[in-house]
Formats: sequence, C-alpha cells, structure tokens
Amino acid sequence: MAMIEVKNVTKSFHVKRKDEATGKLVRSTLTVLKNFSVDFTQEGVTVLLGPSGTGKSTLLRCINGLETIDEGDIVVDGLSVRNRHSLKKIRLTCGMVFQQTVLFPHLDVMNNLTMSPIKLLHMTKREAEEKAKFYLDKVGLSSKEKAKHNELSGGEQQRIAIARALMMNPKALLLDEITSALDPEMTSEVLRILENLAAEGVCMLAVTHEMAFAQHVASRVLFMDKGALVCDATKDDFFTVYRKENERIANFLKFIGE
Amino acid sequence: MNVFDYSAYALFKWSDMRMILNATLLTIRVTLLSLAIGTALGLILGLIRCAKNRGLASLPLIIMEPLRNSPLIVQLFLVYYGLPSVGIRFDAYTAAILTLSLNTAAFFAVLVQSSIQSIPRAQWEAGYALGHNKVSVYIRVIAMQAFRLLIPQAITLYISQLQCSSLVSLVSLMDLTKAGQIVAQKTLLPFLVFGIVAAIYYIVSFPLARLSEYLERRTGFNY
Repeated sequence: MAMIEVKNVTKSFHVKRKDEATGKLVRSTLTVLKNFSVDFTQEGVTVLLGPSGTGKSTLLRCINGLETIDEGDIVVDGLSVRNRHSLKKIRLTCGMVFQQTVLFPHLDVMNNLTMSPIKLLHMTKREAEEKAKFYLDKVGLSSKEKAKHNELSGGEQQRIAIARALMMNPKALLLDEITSALDPEMTSEVLRILENLAAEGVCMLAVTHEMAFAQHVASRVLFMDKGALVCDATKDDFFTVYRKENERIANFLKFIGE
Repeated sequence: MNVFDYSAYALFKWSDMRMILNATLLTIRVTLLSLAIGTALGLILGLIRCAKNRGLASLPLIIMEPLRNSPLIVQLFLVYYGLPSVGIRFDAYTAAILTLSLNTAAFFAVLVQSSIQSIPRAQWEAGYALGHNKVSVYIRVIAMQAFRLLIPQAITLYISQLQCSSLVSLVSLMDLTKAGQIVAQKTLLPFLVFGIVAAIYYIVSFPLARLSEYLERRTGFNY
C-alpha cells in the first residue's frame, strides 16, 4: 500500500490582482493543483521537478497539512489530512524541511533538536540529547551543539534543520527546495548529507532544481507543469526516454543546463 | 529669592522631606498596581487582537481606541468627576488606579499584538511541521520570541506611565507631584523642591531602564 496517496486534489489560492482595464484590485482565483493524483511508497527518493509556480511546493505543503485542500483527499499512512485530529500524526510521519531555514532563534542548536522530541515524543532529556548527538554527527556538525542560529552558515543551518526533522523519526522527509537559498558550496554540503541519508534508506520526497541530485540520488522523477503531472517515471527513463520524447521536458532540461 | 541664598533653605524641614517620601510611596504603589493590572489586561486584549477571526480580533478596539486616542488627564477627569453624575462613584485612589490600568492595558495590547505578529510566519510553520499544535507553537516558539521583542517596548511604556502617574495629583491624590506642589508653596523653594521631586522620579525610573537592558541581554538573539 502506498504510504502517501494524493487523490484528485484541487487547490486554489485567492489572490488580488490589478485589473488591466480598470486599474482596480479584483479578486481572482489561482488554481495551483488541478485534480491531481499520485501515490508515494515508502522507499527511495522521489524528486519533483518542474518550473516555478506549478504547485510542487504546494503539493508538499498540502501533504503536511500546512495548506488546506479544496477538493479531493490526501491520505498519509491511512490518515486523511482533512481530519484535523490526525494532522499531528501525519506531521510526525512526514518531517519537513523548508527553503528558508527556520531554526528557532531563541534556542541553541541542541535545544532546537531536543525540544520537540521531549515535548511530543515524551523522550527524556538524556535520550533526546544522545539522539541529537547521533544526528549532529550524521550531518557533520557535532562541534556546533551550543551554537546559536546566527553563528551558523546557511548550509549549516539547513543541515541542522534536516537533523531536527530526523529527530522525530519520520517515515519520510519532505524537502521543499532546501538548497535554493544556498551558494553552490553549501549546496554540495547539504546534498552530500542527503545522498548519505538516501544510501541509508531514508525515504525522501524532494522538490529541487538540482539536476545533479536528481540524477545521482533519485529513484523516481515526477515532472509537473501548470498544476498537472506531466510525467511519472523512473530516473533512468526520465533522463533518457522522456527528455527525447516530451517537448516540455526537453525544453525545461535545456534551460536548466542539463 | 536667590537660589544661591543658602539661609533660605532652612525653611525646608525634615517633615517636608518625609511628606515627599511618603508621597513617593503612594506614587510607586499606584504605578505598580496599575501597571500590573494593565499588563495582565493588555496581554489578554493583545492576544484577542491576534485571533484569526476578524470580528473577534476587532472587539478589543472598542475599548482600546478611545483610551489610546484621548488624553489620560481627560480620562481621569471623566472617571473621577464624570461618572458620579451617572451614579458611579469612586474615591480618588480607585479612580486613579482604574484609569491608569485601562490606559496601560490599551497601549500594552498594541505592543503584544505587534510583537506576536512580527514573528515570521515561517516560525509558525516550522513548529507545525514538527507536529506541535497551535497552543504548543504559541508557547514554545512564538511567545518566547515575542517576549524578546516586547521587553524594551514594554519597559519604555512602564517608564512613561510612571511619569504619567503624576497626573493623579489633579484628582487630589497625595502623590509625589502633589506633595512637591504643597511643599514648594509652603517653603517658597520651588526650584529645590521640584528638583528633588524630579530626582526621585529619575531614581525610580532608572532601575527599570537598566532592567530592560539586562533582560534584553539575557534573552538576546538576532534574526
């Protein structure tokens, strides 16, 4: 059974925009996901590709219950995101890391990692700290235990955010363009961590524009355009068959320099 | 009289100084009490202002706006001289505390609201994404950061309300300012007496300003 089932999801945002003719602000609806369906199993790395504004991030945010959906349903591990009471479990099942790093600035690195497991998973402080040390080691930042977020580089913050998500024992990680705000050097730091995690079998669902990451790590590639799924293929098929046959994908890959 | 004519200072007796010090205690009591009540009430109003429901969020404005947009002295007169004509009578002390509390609450509510709302949305989402519910995010993520933003502004408000408490002298309350007026008239030494009064206000405010600095350093972080 699929771990995450997205069934016929429609999601639109209400936006205000200036009407060209009258110059007045008018309300309009922007549909980001249209009758969208897809399944994710709990294995390997799935990469979501596609131009900006096609609903990739929105899809992740809907899965995690950060956005409500208008129609359809998303079922994570048997729980529907439409049920407010199952949101906590869903969020514990799917850890999420964002594009803009959001460590809690009032806490040091250690407390950033241990706060939630202690409060939500009822770990003792010692257990949580041991676990935090394990994951800090894994992301290569053992020495930064006591650092505050502004003493860390963007790449380091993002690695801490990954460790923080892993602290909650998620079955899958949702990664929302987590390297987009980083320079190439920091990006490679973060991607190296992700590659290691993928090699250890951590299931990931990643929105990214890093083709190298998609080519090295992904097992499955989804290509989205204008709120619809254009292609759902294994990585090898995507980079060989689809890039030749599908004009939209070929164009996208050409512009991204692949 | 010449300020530098020292023989005149003999008119200023120890009993006058005692009167001023007693009045200082009243000023401190009125200020502390109304700040405590005002802070508690303001916190509640401020939290309601942050509610998602627009109607609910605008309810506190009904009392906040009049209080913020009219002079404190007028509010004080309204409560002390105006309310008795509709049958509600307060003694000067109660009227002073009531007015100062409500006035503080109105301003404090705005500070609470702006501190909470200036925490980036991403902080909420990071909390939610880790599995916290709204209350938990409020307490563990938002409140901690909002508190840091609130401190310097709140203490500025407290200091200003301490100075404003001098207005209660106008409803016949024997506070520091009133005592200063009486002693100054009696001794004919206004420069000396109001100098002392001002110095006492300063001495009471100063620790508050230092407290603000200390708390900012203790809880300090930058975005």
